[in-house]
Amino acid sequence: MLEFFTSTTFQTVLSALNSGFLKTLQLFFITLIGALPLGLIISFGSMSRLAPLSRPVHWYLRRNKREPGKIAKLLIAFQPIRLVCRLMVWIIRGTPLVLQIIALFYVPGIQKWFNWPSGEAGRMMAVCVAFIINYACYFSEIYRGGIQGVPTGQREAGQVLGMTKSQIFRHITLVQMIKRIVPPMSNEIITLVKDTSLARVIALQEVIWMGESFMKGNSGIAGLTWPLFFTAIYYLVFSGVVTVLLGKLEQKLAFFQ
Amino acid sequence: MMKRLKTILALVLALAMTASLAACGGSDTTEEPADDTAGQTTEEPADNTGSESDLAYVQDKGTLVVGITYFAPLDYKEEGSDEWIGFDADMAKAFAESLGVNVEFQEITWDYKVEELNSRAIDCVWNGMTLSEDVLAAMGTSTPYCTNYQTLVYPADKAADFEGLTSLEGLNIAVESGSAGEDAAEALGATTVPVQAQANALMEVSAGTSDAAVIDVLMAAEMTGEGTSYADLAYSLNLNDTQGLPSEEYGVGFRQGSDLVDTFNSFWAEKVADGTVLETATTYGLQDAVILE
Amino acid sequence: MAILEVQHIEKHFGATKVLEDISFSLEKGQALSIIGSSGSGKTTLLRCLNFLETPDSGTICVQGETLFDAADPATQRENEVRRKRLHFGMVFQSFNLFPQYTALKNVTLAKELLSQERPDFKANKKAILEEIQAEGRELLGKMGLSDRANHYPHQLSGGQQQRVAIARALALHPDILCFDEPTSALDPELTGEVLKVIRSLAEQRTTMIIVTHEMAFARDVADQVIFMDGGVIVEQGDPHQVIEHPREERTRQFLSRYAQN
Repeated sequence: MLEFFTSTTFQTVLSALNSGFLKTLQLFFITLIGALPLGLIISFGSMSRLAPLSRPVHWYLRRNKREPGKIAKLLIAFQPIRLVCRLMVWIIRGTPLVLQIIALFYVPGIQKWFNWPSGEAGRMMAVCVAFIINYACYFSEIYRGGIQGVPTGQREAGQVLGMTKSQIFRHITLVQMIKRIVPPMSNEIITLVKDTSLARVIALQEVIWMGESFMKGNSGIAGLTWPLFFTAIYYLVFSGVVTVLLGKLEQKLAFFQ
Repeated sequence: MMKRLKTILALVLALAMTASLAACGGSDTTEEPADDTAGQTTEEPADNTGSESDLAYVQDKGTLVVGITYFAPLDYKEEGSDEWIGFDADMAKAFAESLGVNVEFQEITWDYKVEELNSRAIDCVWNGMTLSEDVLAAMGTSTPYCTNYQTLVYPADKAADFEGLTSLEGLNIAVESGSAGEDAAEALGATTVPVQAQANALMEVSAGTSDAAVIDVLMAAEMTGEGTSYADLAYSLNLNDTQGLPSEEYGVGFRQGSDLVDTFNSFWAEKVADGTVLETATTYGLQDAVILE
Repeated sequence: MAILEVQHIEKHFGATKVLEDISFSLEKGQALSIIGSSGSGKTTLLRCLNFLETPDSGTICVQGETLFDAADPATQRENEVRRKRLHFGMVFQSFNLFPQYTALKNVTLAKELLSQERPDFKANKKAILEEIQAEGRELLGKMGLSDRANHYPHQLSGGQQQRVAIARALALHPDILCFDEPTSALDPELTGEVLKVIRSLAEQRTTMIIVTHEMAFARDVADQVIFMDGGVIVEQGDPHQVIEHPREERTRQFLSRYAQN
């Protein structure tokens, strides 16, 4: 048994898997760093009540002393930012991530819009963009649930105490929202750990690709299946660490109800 | 304001994605004829190079990106080394040198080789690619440089069951999805099990999840039998003969309409003439398969 | 001069009229009780005073200054509304304490944030914050909660939470303190402690508007009572007169129904 772990084959496989896992980690963290704030922005957008046509239509109706008809009501209710954000969330959540990765990587070049940088860097960049957009949309819905789950009374209590909108968000809503979103967010983040493996569809050599490579041949080794299954250990350890950290955060927020 | 900008940007991306899916499906990649004046082309920005010379494009960026998959003895790595070697890899290095550019090997997913080319993620596919009808239709291809046929790989201890077969009916045959082997297996009545790569097809047989596999004879020779990773597998049968078809030929694929095809063909003729091709092929045991005309 | 002057307030929710031609005034140091059945518009009226709802017409004046005039959009600007709210304090039926802060922090938070706008804040930051803290503790002391200053809301009983909420509203020294059914969400045995605090505030001549269902309390504490029904003021006047000898039939019906329950 010990011989196996000290064999050159094991060492070769391990170092290949390590280099693959480094890419997996890179993708994971870049996605989190990008998608956490972008998701918040999208969630604000999808809650936006900006209705630019409401005032002019009201003004027109008042001037002509008319009751609002069907069209007027539609125009008044037209909220472009909210519409755009919800549409985007629908499209991104409604289509497979793997499709988004393929489209984002190949289509710009085929359509001659722009070229991703050549080599691994370009593939990583495209995958990161796809993941950030995709996860930001999922996160935005979690944020929205979290924000809307904070009772209106909390906001009103802040208002009557003379707080500004941003003070209310930072000092009152934010922590309560975070407490609410930690459990669903944990789910998403654990899923993200494993979703990173989709990146291999455009030949990003993350840990599963590396595991598979020993089946077809890599560094003169072919026909090995165990490296592929061995990658499970990487995922298990990593998602274990993430679970513990998120659990700690949850505990930290347990001081209030 | 930022909020609005970002959301708009993201939406544009998303819409572009959906819109372009349609374009993906029917990619007829019409290359514009090079009818514009020469003075204009050199100053055009990189993203507007549809009518520009592919050779100029590659020389301009200084790198030839060669799309490959792991395929001994054409493109592979020796144990403990990180350098791509093999008949194809060595010749690709020589070709890049003749262009005065660096070579970069990029592993790709074989199913997406045409998209990889058209999106300029790679500049050529040079990886023992059989010049099938599909390939000829989708790429600009070189003159053939190597012959090949499809062969049947099976567990060595069951050799008796497979030798001399003229039909694969009733057998589960692992094949690389989209490969010439898949066509052959289907033509011979097999139930196919399409997998990601030829090497995965070998895996299937080794694991007993498929009865046998149809792959390139070059790979079968390299990867099966004693002293290889698949010592328990054996191969026989020229399935091209079984079907009454001529042998297959390997070629290098470029973007459709690319002037690199001509550049490559004259490079190759030169290397055949000075003996480099035969010498390199002999190094990797391909002296019988290589085309020297 | 009256400290609060409300004139001709009207409010619709869609097609439903919830407030109709509400006018009343309140003198400094007086307590006003508003009674009436659920859905009579009492709470909406209170929310209008605190700018949580925008009336469709009417005016609200405090100390002669017109804070709100439905006909004048200049009085409805968001950043000014924020300051105007400070004339009023609000104690909610469901307390609405901030769960992530201690009782003391609940009382001091708004004042701390406001003090950041003071020109001398940076220079005297420490002294200012200490002063706010001390004042917060004193307020909690007055509410009989000195030993609960560092407790989080979920560690307090309902009565204690509501007393913290009262301290929080008092911390900003509003001209008029509004109570929206302050004991309705409490178990009966806890209402006493809250009513006692409000009673003592009345004795200190705090100007107050109290929406309540506690008739006896309204009668004893208030200087003036308004009975509302269906969005209009049906009857207003001296508490003994309105509650014990109502002139209007609707008032009588409400009070007798109330006595039965």
